[in-house]
Amino acid sequence: MRPVVIIAVFTLIWLAVSGSFTVPNLLLGIVASALSLFLIRGHIQPDGRRFRPLKALSLLLLFFKELALSAWKVAVLVASPKMVLKPGIFAFPLTVDRDFEITLLANLITLTPGTLSVDVSEDRKLLYVHAIDCSDPAGTRRDIANGFERKILEAFR
Amino acid sequence: MAAETIISGACAIALFLMCAAFFLTAWRVIKGPTLPDRIVALDMLTAIAIGFIAVVAIRTGFNLYIDIAIALGLVGFLATVAFARFVLSRGMQPGEEGAPDEAPAGNRTRRSGGHARRLH
Amino acid sequence: MPDLLLALVVAIMLIGGGVFTFLAALGIVRLPDVYTRMHAASKAGTVGSGLMLLAAGIHSLDAAIFTRALAGFVFFVLTAPVAAHLVAKAAHAAGYRLTRLTVMDDMRELRERAAKKR
Repeated sequence: MRPVVIIAVFTLIWLAVSGSFTVPNLLLGIVASALSLFLIRGHIQPDGRRFRPLKALSLLLLFFKELALSAWKVAVLVASPKMVLKPGIFAFPLTVDRDFEITLLANLITLTPGTLSVDVSEDRKLLYVHAIDCSDPAGTRRDIANGFERKILEAFR
Repeated sequence: MAAETIISGACAIALFLMCAAFFLTAWRVIKGPTLPDRIVALDMLTAIAIGFIAVVAIRTGFNLYIDIAIALGLVGFLATVAFARFVLSRGMQPGEEGAPDEAPAGNRTRRSGGHARRLH
Repeated sequence: MPDLLLALVVAIMLIGGGVFTFLAALGIVRLPDVYTRMHAASKAGTVGSGLMLLAAGIHSLDAAIFTRALAGFVFFVLTAPVAAHLVAKAAHAAGYRLTRLTVMDDMRELRERAAKKR
């Protein structure tokens, strides 16, 4: 993303958190976000990343749907008198390779039904995922690859 | 009038549920056989405290409580991160066995290893 | 009438949040090992306290306070998986075992292979 876009996003968050929508506060937000971006300028490298707002929005909607579904599933599982558990850790081969995308994918996986990302292998090719129902790891892998990973690739490439 | 009755009733139900949740989680903190169990339970206690604060904010009408809840969430997150670092640096103590229903290690490893090999 | 509708929405969110929080705590007590307990805490727990915070934001009937509650909710949703991931990784690296019900553990096999090579 371009610095201008990042500053705009930071300023929006500042306005939301500080809760006053006045012109001096807007200016303060712009100055503060520009300053904080200036302070971390060495850590962000421009890498020609594309950003598609509509695809990102659809990713966000999918995420909230899955979050509600996952909370519901865990709640039903815990409330059922006899819990049927088949937990296990399986390796998920990553197609995405940038730090940002891996972080996003790991976070999304954690908040989806029955899966929790545990670790990334040293060569960043495998993501280890703990699943509460690991009876069909191949199917879960396929679901993640066709769901979130594809959406991330669409939104940020 | 009806609206206030509904909200105060809902507050009472929510407070009751969260009291029960609080005691269950506190039991896990006391009992929890291993350190990570206790950390997870403490993290959950933070979430419950945030819920309590939100209900209190609705009951009393002091909206400043929401800021306190956000600050508590921040501190709780940092505490969990620090605890995770501590687990990593301390390692497992000899007295702590894993899950309470743990089978002998050799048996389990062979079973899981075989399963994983079949899949690859 | 809008008052009543708003009160109903707030009440449903409060009770829903309470139920999710309670079930998350029940999961922490009932599930067999750290990793499965983390599922309950990081999903149901986050949704429970997040719903309550949003209910407080809606109840205030103030855009500034609602945006703040929304920002808090987003913050919780962003941090909960990171915290769960860190604790799970640390616990697995320290050697805490998975429950006997576990059907597979690709990570342990890989670590053992690496240890043998060394």
